[in-house]
Amino acid sequence: MRHRGLVGLGVAALIALPWILSQGLLNASIQMLIAALFACAYNLLSGQAGMLSFGHAAYFGVGAFGTVHAMNAFRGAGLLPTPLLPVAGAVAGLIIGAIVGWFATQRTGPYFAMITLAIAELLHSLAPHLRGLFGGEAGVSTMRMPSLGLTFGSTTQVYILVLAWVLASLLALYLYMLTPVGRLTLGLRENAHRLRFLGYNVHNLSVLVFSVSAMFSGIAGSLQVINNEAANYVVFDSSVSASVVLNTYIGGVRVFLGPALGAALMTFFGYAVSDLTQSWLLYQGIVFALVMVFMPSGLAGLFEKSESLHRRFGAAPLAPFFAFALGAAVLIIAGAVFVVELMQRMFSQDYRALATTARPWPPIPLFGRQWSPTSPETWLVPVVSIGVGAACVFLARHVLFKLQDRQESRVSATPFNQH
Amino acid sequence: MDTLVVSLLNGVIYGLLLFMVSAGLTLVFGMMGVLNFAHASFYMLGAYFAYALQGTLGFWAALLVSTLIVGAVGVIVERFVLRRVHHHGHAHELLLTFGLSVVIAELVKLFFGNYPVNYRVPKSLDFAAFAIGTSEYPFYRLLMGGVAIAMFMLIYLLLTRTRVGIVVRSAIYRPRMAEALGHNVPLVFMGVFGVGAALAGLAGAVAGAFYTTNPNMAIELGVVVFVVVVIGGLGSLEGAMLASLLIGVITSLAVGVDASLADLLGLVGARSWAEHAGGLLTLKLSSLAGTIPFALMLLILLVRPSGLLGGKA
Amino acid sequence: MNNAILTIRNLRKSFQQHEIIRGVNLDVMADERHAFIGPNGAGKSTVFNLISGNLTPTSGEITFCGQRIDGMPPQDINRLGLARSFQITNIFPRLTVFENVRLAVARAHRSQYNFWSFIDRAPRIREHTERLLEQVRLERRMSAIAGEMTYSEQRSLEIALALALDPKVILLDEPMAGMSSEETLYMAEFIRAITRGRALLIVEHDMKVVFSITDRISVLVYGEVIATGKPDEIRNNAKVKEAYLGEEVAR
Repeated sequence: MRHRGLVGLGVAALIALPWILSQGLLNASIQMLIAALFACAYNLLSGQAGMLSFGHAAYFGVGAFGTVHAMNAFRGAGLLPTPLLPVAGAVAGLIIGAIVGWFATQRTGPYFAMITLAIAELLHSLAPHLRGLFGGEAGVSTMRMPSLGLTFGSTTQVYILVLAWVLASLLALYLYMLTPVGRLTLGLRENAHRLRFLGYNVHNLSVLVFSVSAMFSGIAGSLQVINNEAANYVVFDSSVSASVVLNTYIGGVRVFLGPALGAALMTFFGYAVSDLTQSWLLYQGIVFALVMVFMPSGLAGLFEKSESLHRRFGAAPLAPFFAFALGAAVLIIAGAVFVVELMQRMFSQDYRALATTARPWPPIPLFGRQWSPTSPETWLVPVVSIGVGAACVFLARHVLFKLQDRQESRVSATPFNQH
Repeated sequence: MDTLVVSLLNGVIYGLLLFMVSAGLTLVFGMMGVLNFAHASFYMLGAYFAYALQGTLGFWAALLVSTLIVGAVGVIVERFVLRRVHHHGHAHELLLTFGLSVVIAELVKLFFGNYPVNYRVPKSLDFAAFAIGTSEYPFYRLLMGGVAIAMFMLIYLLLTRTRVGIVVRSAIYRPRMAEALGHNVPLVFMGVFGVGAALAGLAGAVAGAFYTTNPNMAIELGVVVFVVVVIGGLGSLEGAMLASLLIGVITSLAVGVDASLADLLGLVGARSWAEHAGGLLTLKLSSLAGTIPFALMLLILLVRPSGLLGGKA
Repeated sequence: MNNAILTIRNLRKSFQQHEIIRGVNLDVMADERHAFIGPNGAGKSTVFNLISGNLTPTSGEITFCGQRIDGMPPQDINRLGLARSFQITNIFPRLTVFENVRLAVARAHRSQYNFWSFIDRAPRIREHTERLLEQVRLERRMSAIAGEMTYSEQRSLEIALALALDPKVILLDEPMAGMSSEETLYMAEFIRAITRGRALLIVEHDMKVVFSITDRISVLVYGEVIATGKPDEIRNNAKVKEAYLGEEVAR
């Protein structure tokens, strides 16, 4: 691991959080940690083994329900002491993962993707009918039991528990990549066909990887139930499967912690703006699509590229490039958000009711001002913002090309300059 | 007996509708090697556009225009979005189409609301075609089946009897060779993608009036279409037809069956045990009808992993 | 009598209506180097695919060490001791050269289900890998990304993957395609050395190589073996000359 110092610092910061953050933010941090683990578990299968699953909510949900029932066992005393509850999620995830994996890995590529989606949808449509298991509309609720002298009543204690399990799981996932099976997992992605001709049973291997990924997803689901003290069948919804896919690839699958980064960031933004907008999933989808087209290695890849640019050109010459890039990002995002939020309000039921009766159309309050949807000034704002942002993109690229040209001409002009 | 006939008819028509959507998906996969996750989104867009235009253009014109609009959307998506990531590989393109399906669903929620809209069969078409026993069979259902069959014949004739069709088929089968022979393969790709999208859009425009039109319809249908394609084999039009009809008929028949596994076990005297055990055993088949396609898929995977009619594994 | 390690009897393969392999009979001895030549499209790679389990025969028998292997999955055939290289380079493109070979080597060290030890701490695997890389002259490219190497370097890697598991029978499908004459000379000598005491079945178009390192040659034309024998016999065989070699063979 190249950034050992950075990771150590990060872990220390995470441990210190309960003494720095408010309860609300601490709760958000718990969700960020859980999403990060789920994304890394997912990435084991899709980024590292090359098997794209679109129904991973199934294993997260199975872990959740396995845990909630374990917590309620023995009339609430629980099958396991609270700190060990995620084991229930792990076992549930592992078993279901092995069964589903056996079926799903009979096919590859798009077939595999479709099968994983169908399984999750199967669970989602079956769950409300099986009240005993999934609790119907209301779901199943439970309570955390005290253990080891701790009540687990406060957010801080739950945070520490979640942090411990997430760090342990991430470490396990990282060490997994250093084992023979871990390397074989990469071989699966690169050329499963050739592995057969080297004597490996590719189906068995695939089932193994699938099960491990499902196991850690189950742990993530388990942690969510421990935090929320409830499990509901909406955990099998396709939006949960979609989220983990979006988070993982936005973060970047080439770097081990990339998915964790993407998940943490997206979860944080989702939490921060959930009161401000109804269109968060739209933004997430757009970001994902843009990342896939323009930044295939994700945000983590972006950091790596910036690092290598920094090494190549130095900080000072790059300053205008970063300034333009940042400006472009801010302006384009601002313009896009403005348009989406305006239209969100324009097309809402309330406004449409208003608009049919009142002419001209009443102004829409947004960002502290009133905007009239029929006046051109309103639409000029995002157009200008995005336009200037696009100009900044060109300027940034121009700066970069000039730097590259200068460096190349310097290199080719050194035959007589010995350093 | 009458209910059986009605169920069968319903099943066949639903199957034809499924085929309309899965035909486009299977053709595009055969051509580009990429599964278009957003294909069912075109179905949804067709329904929503038809709903939006119905007021100003009337039902039939709205059908036609919305089909064309969805086709245009398909062309734009292929040309300006998907083509940019071809070189990153199939998995990458698959993920991008997945993202697009999310974006389209969210845009629909933004413009039309996160609830079903009132897209209805127009009064002029809302009558009974004939009577079967005591119940009357709605004409609109027959219309849906008719549209599907007409589309299928049109596409079949286009592909097999016209020059354009031959070029398209060669581009699907051997794109590089077709390009070497001077055909504009990228244009063919765009065209097939657009036609596939338009087909799905037409299916949506027609079916959305009868079934519900809501932001979830893409996922609900999409999953079943995927099951059709897993069972029938990607790239096989015959397989898609067979699997569509199979799923359509079985699902439709199941909806009419109010029995459960417990009833079945009653045949061997284990009914009361089963009812006591509860859970899966007491669920009526009619409420589980939605899960039958998945069960079929799992069965096929166990028994014939390469699909009913073979095709690419 | 028949100490053939690999026996093929009446092998046939059809793809729908087209019969591509039309009754191939072949015996490969346990320590023989056997070349497989023929015009393009004769079906040589198809025969390799049938032997190695990539395709299932329509009919016929393939026997390896006395055991029927036709229709067996490729991993089982490989575990019995038969390895192959591919005509179209079939490596792990985004992994390093070292990693590529290590994946092949690891199977012999029982790695398939091993997730409780670190592969870097297994010195035997590393030594085995390094030795193999030296033999194919890729030791200086150990950390290179496999897919970014030159074509001939990739071909060397391809051969290394086939040899990694010490097979009893090696199938090499045009291993030297794309190599320079110096590389070809080296590789031919290397293949001759490494196949001492093993059976080799090699598809090759370079006649110099074929005549210099092989013990026997079989000629495949339109899915049938029209002649089998020692290099000189083949050189002088009228049918072969007519079907394939033309006058060049006389040189």
